[in-house]
Parts: sequence; structure tokens; C-alpha cells
Amino acid sequence: MWTFESMVGQPSSWLDASGPRSDVVLSTRVRLARNLSGHPFPARAALEDLTAVEEKVLTSASKSNYLTNALVIRMDEAGPPVHQILVERHIASPSFGAKPEGRAVVVGENEVVSAMINEEDHLRLQALRSGLQPLDAWRLVSRIDVEVERNLQYAFSKDWGYLTSCPTNVGTGVRVSVLVHLVGLARLGEVAQVLGGISKLGLSVRGFYGERSAALGGFFQVSNQTTLGQSEEDIAYTVERISSRIVELELKAREELVARAGKRIEDEVWRAHGILTSARVMSSEEVMSLCSSLRLGVARGMIDGIDLGTLNRLLVVTQPGHLKYFHGENPSSDERDRMRADLVRRELGNRERAQ
Amino acid sequence: MRCDDCGKPANIRYVEMVDGELRDLHLCDDCANTRGMALSLSPLTGSLVNMLMGLLDEMGVGEERAEDGPVCPDCGLTRAEFRASGKLGCASCYEAFAAELKPLLRRVHGSTAHAGTIPSRAPQDIETSRRVRKLQLELERAVHAEEYERAAELRDEIRRLEADAVSGDAGGSSAKNDAGGANVDL
Repeated sequence: MWTFESMVGQPSSWLDASGPRSDVVLSTRVRLARNLSGHPFPARAALEDLTAVEEKVLTSASKSNYLTNALVIRMDEAGPPVHQILVERHIASPSFGAKPEGRAVVVGENEVVSAMINEEDHLRLQALRSGLQPLDAWRLVSRIDVEVERNLQYAFSKDWGYLTSCPTNVGTGVRVSVLVHLVGLARLGEVAQVLGGISKLGLSVRGFYGERSAALGGFFQVSNQTTLGQSEEDIAYTVERISSRIVELELKAREELVARAGKRIEDEVWRAHGILTSARVMSSEEVMSLCSSLRLGVARGMIDGIDLGTLNRLLVVTQPGHLKYFHGENPSSDERDRMRADLVRRELGNRERAQ
Repeated sequence: MRCDDCGKPANIRYVEMVDGELRDLHLCDDCANTRGMALSLSPLTGSLVNMLMGLLDEMGVGEERAEDGPVCPDCGLTRAEFRASGKLGCASCYEAFAAELKPLLRRVHGSTAHAGTIPSRAPQDIETSRRVRKLQLELERAVHAEEYERAAELRDEIRRLEADAVSGDAGGSSAKNDAGGANVDL
């Protein structure tokens, strides 16, 4: 049975590092923005419009083969702790909890496919894949879109495509995002140059989990900027092609880093491992930064017995919403830092020391 | 432009929103790197903020003009509201604000014509006109590349599609196959 509890109790499948180029790419996300004709977009819709849209979309989604056993969470019943967990698991946006009435999420089994209803648009449908898989993720989300659409009339114009609340999404309504770990380029001081080049190619780059994650761990999100004038497949292909190039540059950078300062890097990796498996109190910044170093070591084969998937998951489950959930009540920030250190030690397999 | 952090020549522009405040920084590669560079934007492809700036330029700034702009007949969104939020209120807004959206979309996306999938419930003529538009683009490219044989094929294909549309037989299977073939070729 797929429930909220079972979802939080198990890691998101798209973080398992099973996909292509998992040494550099954590995950790929493709989302579609859709609106129903005959209702104002959510920001200008009355509650009765929102609930009507919610019911229509939920009914239609339940008929999709991909969402038959999906978990439905109505935000007005869920409350902030649930919302925070959904944000940390990339199922809901941070702003989605602000006005919970008439808002809901639908989460398919294993969190590969999910939907937000009445966020900025009536329907935001997404597919999440491990590693670098833009085309695959696009095909998956597109199949679900076709199924969900069978009982819905989308707002569509033959000139401008799918009509969205923000003109930056109009046309295909597609956003293809790839989460990359550019620790090598960051260490060589080349990351800004590479990312500057990417933005000239029409893609946007931002720090993942906010700006500090970029500074601390070299985690970045690369995505398409434009949605009109190209087919979805072309957009996905462009993101895939440019991301593959970024992966090559990153691997080269790691190679060079090891060639230039191999012992120092190895030392850093093992120190990160030492702290992560021994510390009793850890901030989320520290976990982010150390996981980044350890990830580099694991990807380079410097350390055995730790898989990349575990490190990917740590980035999610050590965040405040998840810690609060496991704690059962609202922990103080000190308690959270202790819980975080315990959790990290457990996840990295040092069970006896975690006791 | 000089780097806001160290004064060296800057080549990265960094726009961010912090608590609703817009910050526009110019940074050199080194300082951008130190900051963990979240994003760099060229003015043409930029964020919502850039887009709105572009929108204002496009229409000539001036509050009085914003006041007497069009109003959406369905949801009542005014031009002033659209300018303030950068968001449209409903599907009909796209018609109501078409005049200002066109230059805006061209600026943001570099295009004003949808080329992606269409809803399966969309009327057939949408599919046909989309294919015709795609072929017309290919035709322009072929002529530009002096591939006249290919151009002639494309021209015939466009004529055929348009004739089919008029005779109400837009869903011919041969048309579908040809469109697929065009995808592979280019």
C-alpha cells in the first residue's frame, strides 16, 4: 500500500544513482505546465473554480495507468510539516503551502511521477529520473499527459501552444532540469566560466537547494530557459546534449584535480568520511559540503563500500522537514543537528557507533 | 563594467531576488566563483525580471498608458496588473494582451509560434496548420541553403496539406508519415 508514511520511510527512487552518468548527474526532472479551459488560472480563481479544477484533474488523473494507486494529498488537510517534506522530496514547490485551499498533490508509486494541482498553473505534471535521462523523462511525462488529458480540455492556442499563467512557460510548458554535481570544476575555479557558457546557449543554471548548496557542494541545476518555438523533444535533446558536455568537462576537471593534487584530494575525501561517520553534531551546511567531498571520492573509486545513491539520499533526508518528521515533534536546532549526525552515521553504515 | 566585489573587469551579470528585493550584480569570473555562482544571465535570455524590464521598454514606460491599456473580458485583468505581476489571469488574456505579448514572447523565447505537441482533443485544423508552419520554416531553410529540389518537395507538401484542409480531409495518413519523415531529415 502506497501511503505518505511508506513514501517518507523509503528513499525517493530517482535518487538511487542507477541512471546514466550518475557519477556527475544526480537526477533529471521534466515537468509540464497545463491549464484547463473555462477556468481562470489559480492566482485569479475563486475557491469554487479551484475546487472544480481540483476535482476534474483528480478524477482524470486517477484513470491514468501510471497514477491508479497514486497518493493524493490535499494541502488544506496536510499542514506545513507535510508540505515541507514534499518540498524536500521535490514534489511540491516552496510557495505551494501558502494558500492550501483547493490545492493538492498526486504522487505516483516510488515518486517517479507526480502532479501539483492549482500551483501557478492548474496542473504541473512531472517525471523524475535517476541520472541523465531528459528524453526518457520527457517521453514518460508525455505518456501520462496524454492519459490525463483524455477527460480534460486544456487551454491551448494554435499559435502559442499550451497557455500558462506566466508567459515564460507558454508553448510547450516544458521545463527539463538536470541536477549536476560539479565539484571538480568548482575546485579548479572553472565553474563560473562553464556556467556562463551554458547561459549563452540558452539554458539557465542555478544553485540547487538555494545558493549556498552551489558554494558548499558544487550542486547545480541546469534547465531550458525557453518553451516556445521548439518541440519538447528538441528541448529535451538540447538539455541532454549540453549536459553531456558538462559531464565531460567535469570528469576532465576531476582527472586534472587528482593529477595536480591527488594526495590532498584523497586526504580531503577521507577526512570527510571520518567526520561524517564520527561526528555527533552536524549542520545541514556541513553535511552538504562533506557529502560533496565524499561523493567525489566514491565516484573516483577512492573509497569502497559506499554507494552514490546513499549520498544522494542524505542530501534529502538530512533536511529539517524530514528530521522533524522522524523526531515526531518540533526539535530545537541543536536537537536537529544531533539527529542529523546520528542519521548520517546510520546511513553510512556505522551502526554500532550510532547507538 | 567592473566587478562589484573586487573592481576587476566583470563579465558575468548576476540578477537575484532577495526577500522581494531585486539585486543586480556584475562580477568577474573569480568573484562569481567564490560566491558559488548561482546563475549568470545574458540580457536576452533572462529571468522574469529581465522579461518585465523588456516589457516596459517595449511599450514605453508610463503609468498613464498602463491605466488605459486593454482589460481581459473574461477575468478582468488590467494591463497595469499584468505589468506588475508578469502573470496572465486566464486563457483569454492571451487574446486580450496579444499586441504586447508578441514582442515580449519574441524577446523571451526568440519565437512566437508553438512547435511542440498539441492536445489530442485539439481540432484537426490546428494539427494541419502547425505542420504547414513547420514545413514553411524548412522551406525557408532549404531555399537559403540552395537545396532547390528539397524546397520543391516541401512546397508541394505544403500545397497538398492546405488543399486537404480545405476539402476537410486533413487527417490523411500520408500527411502524417511525411511530417514524421521531415523530422528525421532535419
